[in-house]
Amino acid sequence: MRVEVRGLSKSFGAVRAVDDLSFTVEPGSITGFLGPNGAGKTTTLRMALGLEQPDAGTATFDGVAYADLLSPVRTVGAVLETAFHPARSGRNHLRVYCRAAGLPVSRADEVLAQVGLADAGRRRAGGYSLGMRQRLALATALLGDPAVLVLDEPANGLDPEGIQWLRGFLRHLAHTEGRTVLVSSHLLAEMEQTADRVVIVGAGRLVREGSIAELRSGTQGSGAVLVRSPEAGRLAEVLRVAGLSVGPAEDGRVTVTGTTPATVGAHAFRAGVELHELRAETSGLEELYFRLTAGQEQFAASQGAAR
Amino acid sequence: MTALVRAEWTKLFTTRVWIGLLAGACVLVAGFVVLFTSFAGDTPGSAQGGPPGGLPPVGTEQFEQLVLAIGANVTVLFLILGIIGMTQEYRHRTATPTFLTTPRRGRVVVAKLTAYALVAVPFALVVVAVNYGVVAVAAGARGAVPELTGDNLRVLASSGLALVIYTVIGVGLGALVRNQVGAIVGGLVYLFVVEAIVRQISAIAGAYKWLPGGALEALTATLDGPDLLEPWQGGLLLLGYGLVAALLGTLLAVRRDVV
Repeated sequence: MRVEVRGLSKSFGAVRAVDDLSFTVEPGSITGFLGPNGAGKTTTLRMALGLEQPDAGTATFDGVAYADLLSPVRTVGAVLETAFHPARSGRNHLRVYCRAAGLPVSRADEVLAQVGLADAGRRRAGGYSLGMRQRLALATALLGDPAVLVLDEPANGLDPEGIQWLRGFLRHLAHTEGRTVLVSSHLLAEMEQTADRVVIVGAGRLVREGSIAELRSGTQGSGAVLVRSPEAGRLAEVLRVAGLSVGPAEDGRVTVTGTTPATVGAHAFRAGVELHELRAETSGLEELYFRLTAGQEQFAASQGAAR
Repeated sequence: MTALVRAEWTKLFTTRVWIGLLAGACVLVAGFVVLFTSFAGDTPGSAQGGPPGGLPPVGTEQFEQLVLAIGANVTVLFLILGIIGMTQEYRHRTATPTFLTTPRRGRVVVAKLTAYALVAVPFALVVVAVNYGVVAVAAGARGAVPELTGDNLRVLASSGLALVIYTVIGVGLGALVRNQVGAIVGGLVYLFVVEAIVRQISAIAGAYKWLPGGALEALTATLDGPDLLEPWQGGLLLLGYGLVAALLGTLLAVRRDVV
């Protein structure tokens, strides 16, 4: 099932939280919805799910708006904020939505097992850790066995093991089961490891859309490479002669910009310079992300104040 | 719609709010029955030509109708039951999964109105049964168990009905106000401050019978009071208030963004 966002816009007072945003999410892959905090990711997702009213634009699931879906729970599963009554057990929380969606209540136990929460299901959800709450929210989204999964910052509050688990779980849902997965994050590193494609937003606008590989190739060589060598001065000279942009050699360290570790390594090898360390200081993608979304934190702060 | 109503019942019975409210209602009713019965007849009531506030003696028709109508005084707890039923969705942010499951939000409000009206029936029966049971014991100890016939039965039935209707009003008020504390405080202030004042000011006292409190009094009052509607009119008017609040709430508040 394909998710299409077309011309979505929404303002809070004078702040344009989402500004004429359009993108497409394809089935069978994980699409990362990437942008700094306050870029309008959550607002976009909530508008797509009919929780907030857009000022303009549409979001459709195979051409149908969320509110018009015949069986929304069986079509789209959403992990937004972790919302549950603290006095209700996780299992009963799930049973409520089984009832409302006309699903058998046995689904509650099935999804609890699926997210590894079977043992805690009968405990009050108010006593859950942050990671368990995220798992319960994910379980709620999975109740209807939906073709599309929409997750808003699902890694928040998960420990490293939980993040690893989530990554594998989402890959399984998308690549093995062919579902459409849209997952938002403000962390590029997280998305580089999880997503097949990314949609990058800043200040509510689309800044870049494409596969991770496309974005990487488009930014090849724009990163910075850090080299350590006992002959840092000679290495800097060799690299400069080779036409690279080399910073000053200090404490046996040289920083080279606009290239890759492979290029620097090749020059060093040819010149017979001994290396102790050779690494990309920032990936090209990371630099691109910072550049694309530069100045957005200011916007995020003003948006926070407006809300 | 049946599925949504059942979902509302699951929500209600998987937390303990209902136990507290129902138990509280029963304790209040039992306590007031004992209190009323203990002091009955010590000073003759206004119906016997005594000062206002006096209680008619045990065994009289006035006494029986008065103590059997005590259940109607805990309508406020049933109002709170309805308010919590609606506003907890916003308080605990479960409005998000609820509206994701049912994007047509009006259906959620209708389901809540139905679920709470239906669940209020057995709850009201419990309160009315406790009311009669305690009266039977307390008044019986003083020599006169009221009969469950005629006017006595009508009094019990109308206070039960009032409890059910106030639950519906609570859901409607909750839909309109959304904020749990705001809805409860607003409801209490309205019932016990605003209406009490309106009732006192003779220039506008004529409006009182059209207000929820006046309608409740029309439905359940057994002592002579101000100019009121017929009981059935009062009941209908009350139900109307609940449904209008729910309709306005759906149109104005529930449709607003859930953020």
